[in-house]
Amino acid sequence: MSEATVVGGALVPGMPHLLAASPAPSWKRLAEAVLEVGSRLRAANPDAVLLLSTQWFTVLGHQVQLDPNPRGQRTDENWYAYDFGHLDYDLRTDTALAEAWAAEIDTVGMQARRTHYEHFPIDTGTVVASRLLDPDRTLPMAQVSCNLYADADALFRVGAAGVAAARRLGRRIAVVGVSGLSSGLTPRWISPKEDEISDPAHEQWNSRLLGLLAAGDLAAALDLREAYSRAAAADSQLRVLPWLVGAEGAVGPGEVLASGPIWGTGAAVVHWPA
Amino acid sequence: MARVFQLPVTTGRTAIAAPAVVGSTDRPRPGIAAGYLAPHPPHLIYAENPPQNEPRSTGGWEVLRWAYAELRRRLTRLRPDVLVVHAPHWITMVGHHVNCVPNPRGVSVEPIFPHLFRYHYNMTTDVELAETIADCAAEAGLVTSKLREPGVRVDYATIGALHLANPSWDIPVVSLSANNNPYFYAEAALDEMEVLGAATRRAIETTGRRAVLLASNSLSHLHWDVEADLPEDMSREHPFSHHQYQWDIRLLDLVRTGPTRAVADFVPQHIAQTASETKAGSLTWLLAALDWPAIPGDVLGYGTIIGTGNAVVEWVPEEFSDV
Repeated sequence: MSEATVVGGALVPGMPHLLAASPAPSWKRLAEAVLEVGSRLRAANPDAVLLLSTQWFTVLGHQVQLDPNPRGQRTDENWYAYDFGHLDYDLRTDTALAEAWAAEIDTVGMQARRTHYEHFPIDTGTVVASRLLDPDRTLPMAQVSCNLYADADALFRVGAAGVAAARRLGRRIAVVGVSGLSSGLTPRWISPKEDEISDPAHEQWNSRLLGLLAAGDLAAALDLREAYSRAAAADSQLRVLPWLVGAEGAVGPGEVLASGPIWGTGAAVVHWPA
Repeated sequence: MARVFQLPVTTGRTAIAAPAVVGSTDRPRPGIAAGYLAPHPPHLIYAENPPQNEPRSTGGWEVLRWAYAELRRRLTRLRPDVLVVHAPHWITMVGHHVNCVPNPRGVSVEPIFPHLFRYHYNMTTDVELAETIADCAAEAGLVTSKLREPGVRVDYATIGALHLANPSWDIPVVSLSANNNPYFYAEAALDEMEVLGAATRRAIETTGRRAVLLASNSLSHLHWDVEADLPEDMSREHPFSHHQYQWDIRLLDLVRTGPTRAVADFVPQHIAQTASETKAGSLTWLLAALDWPAIPGDVLGYGTIIGTGNAVVEWVPEEFSDV
């Protein structure tokens, strides 16, 4: 039972450019890779998706989404002038799994904050990833926020709490972390064809990290995390990685399906089969 | 940051009544009549229990709320045409944005504090001034954008400062974003905030507005990462650390003695020591817009909110000190 709980894991970007009608070549490759990962994860027959998006950032405790059907329109506060800045969403939550996850977070001595409010703004990363991973909305999700002040160990434990909750309920889950890599955004308005990683050093650091993930050397990747975060301004200090490891979504070698720039930042799509 | 273009200041696109002719007998003179450091933690609105906000409280954080009461009393005397706010939680990763939507309205559920802040807002934008600020900022070389999409949710830092300064919302507003990146704790380029402040001043002068400016920043910003069952339990409220408190007081001592340049010069140290929210640039923008007057600020109140330092401070330029 416990071996079958996690059917696979993935790291995917959450920038809305992946939904652009006229994407840059990199955005198109990344979007196609997320679609492919979604197909693979769904083929493994999970009951639900366990998800953390770094764009749902919080500061008090660890928020768990309990609205059974978050839906609405999101107009992105930065990208509103583009087609991809306007996002409709209609999500489904596995509320039993989310409740159990919150309880596990409390049990291990952290503070879970149960979130169920009309008009609650779902973050762009969650909307983009869910739309590409599961276009037909076949899978419910359980989502947790990314606390800005939680250290890597805390996020590892939040991930582990999610798996423990899934085991307790007998759920088969796919584990998805929504995060970019280097965060050096190009600080001006560009056309898609101009897009490139904003700093060559960031690109080298991204490649080094992805090499470790592809080799399955997760311990080395975790050891590299802090230096990588300082050198490449990593998205949320790459704390998505300890969360993925804690949730058993990153185990062994990962397949890097695509990598490339999104408005100067680094992004990659990585799949870990069970 | 890229250097962009400038549009000439135009007339005929006001969404609200244009100000009266400068020098008319019954109208105060134009310019920036005052600037306020106006912190926005949602706890303050929650504690006030206004009809626009859904959650109910039993109060709390009274000293800061009394400071805002004094701000409101002074604001009435200042009789501004417009309130201009710079807020750190409208985070724009590319450039400095100005809200040019004539009537932003909706429900703002704060993703971090949804239990405290679910606010029904209905604002009137001074569109002509908003567009002119964006134009002046672009002319000064900043990357800018004019928000014209009504669907963008207005953030709690914008609403918080504006509501607490003027809960009746009967003065038009202009809202400016914080050019920042939330995903790696970025700091605003403070030199750019000086440029934005000067551009704001120029736009206010060009349009003949009488404006009051609000810098929607807290001070020291390390805070608790868990919350009491009763958020307004004041027995739990105190500075996050003595270190943070001391550095806040050092900053406020400088504020009280002036000049404003000394305050701005101290801001980077204060940020380094306390993770101050002034890293988002609102305070620097405000002082630059006031054109660095050699005057002290009036600290109307100081208090902590979940451990962060917050002060309500007023600066009144000498030419408006007789108001």
